Amino acid sequence: MREKLLYGLALAGGLLLVRNLYVILLGFENEASQGAIYRIIFFHVPCWFICFSAYALAGGSSILYLWKRKTIFDDLAVSAVEVGVVFTAIGLLTGSIWGRIIWGIWWTWGPRLTWAFICLLIYLGYLMLRRAIEDPTERAKNSAVLCIFAFTSVVITYKAIDWWRTQHPGAVLSFRTGGGNIEPAWEYMLLFNFLALALLSAPIVMIRMRQEKTQREIDGLRRRTHEL
Amino acid sequence: MDERNFTYMFLGFAAAWAALAAYVVFLGAREGKLRRQLENLRRMVENREK
Amino acid sequence: MLFMRQTLTIAGKDLRSELRGKEAINASVSFALVILLLFSFAFDPASDLTLEISGGLLWLVFAFAGALILNRSFSREQANDCLDMLVASPVSGAALFLGKVIANAILLTIVELICLPVFGVFYNVNWTRQLGGLFLVLVLTTWGLTVIGTMFSALTVNLRLRELMLPVLVYPMMIPGLMAAMQLTTVLIAGEPIAGDNMVWLRLLIGFDIIFTSLAVALVETVLVS
Repeated sequence: MREKLLYGLALAGGLLLVRNLYVILLGFENEASQGAIYRIIFFHVPCWFICFSAYALAGGSSILYLWKRKTIFDDLAVSAVEVGVVFTAIGLLTGSIWGRIIWGIWWTWGPRLTWAFICLLIYLGYLMLRRAIEDPTERAKNSAVLCIFAFTSVVITYKAIDWWRTQHPGAVLSFRTGGGNIEPAWEYMLLFNFLALALLSAPIVMIRMRQEKTQREIDGLRRRTHEL
Repeated sequence: MDERNFTYMFLGFAAAWAALAAYVVFLGAREGKLRRQLENLRRMVENREK
Repeated sequence: MLFMRQTLTIAGKDLRSELRGKEAINASVSFALVILLLFSFAFDPASDLTLEISGGLLWLVFAFAGALILNRSFSREQANDCLDMLVASPVSGAALFLGKVIANAILLTIVELICLPVFGVFYNVNWTRQLGGLFLVLVLTTWGLTVIGTMFSALTVNLRLRELMLPVLVYPMMIPGLMAAMQLTTVLIAGEPIAGDNMVWLRLLIGFDIIFTSLAVALVETVLVS
């Protein structure tokens, strides 16, 4: 049953992705000033949506862990953070490539990029902390606390840097700008691609969670073999 | 100009997907390793219990 | 209030312990001086650029030197199971934490007050023009940095790689506070008061302090009790 759910989600995500790619590559025309490269926005922006959602999920899961002390919340937290880190890297990569073409530089210390990089560092620190603690309960507890701090810091830094310099393109989604900043077709594509990526990420998170559970089983068996 | 942009666009897409694929491959490898460890340990426990 | 008394007792204990040996303060001040020296090689201290980057420079020095003090905060309690005793004692986790934060903040402020004149001399910067504002920013930022540093010191106290992990975890977290401090300090050293556009940085700094202090006090008990 669970396998079917995993495959179902991945398949749905995959199909939606293919459909989106078709529209992106063939349905949309080249934008006037940027040429073909603008299409990268349709992966770049959804990437950050996923990234932020993943970190928020991890933060919430960490709070739930500290409250209920059930290991499933710890599993969810680490899985969400890993996926978040991967998408942060992808976001930085795609943004960097876009920047190379449009601005002529691979990197600049503008607000969004700086925030993104800080985000990456904070959550890589989280993953490093997890590796450094051996006792599972201790690890879950301490990394949950770190995750809550991390998300708070990420939100504060995001807002703080937003008030600072701005070279990165501003907000485009209607619910933030009240409409008019972006063509409706593009906005739908951004949201569709977010959905596609989310559908693809869900199985990944679930598989990763199952791996944590397997690891616990292994640790338990190890203890048994030592006893016997 | 458009031609070069197309190349970079594909490079961009490819890089993004490569990164995601790399992570999935990494997950798969870890899954295999965990499974093997589990099998080994299960066998060991069974043998010791006999 | 019992809580206040407990907090101040812990703060007093840590301060007395540190001021007897003065290890952390000595190391911290020496390190700060070395960084100031190194920075003088990185760019020309005599140029006009100095005023523009004064805030950034000062806070980098303080942040790096501060790490030495913060690291020892909980690791000092490792010997002879002191930490276990403290946690088991009637002193609440929050009081223990706040006491240590107060002690660390005072120590770090001492280091900063020593470094400021040295900075002024080395880089030929007159930093006394907005003394009130400068001390306000100093106190607020030091509090924020210390809260985060002490919290993470508690978090990493049992790790083998404690000395490595603490800087890696702590510096990205401190960034909002450091950013605000750097901006405000640069403005204040240039002689301008905090007003208008810069108020947003002051508000960020205060918000940063409040949010992280609340979070830390709420979560420290969880971290300390194994």
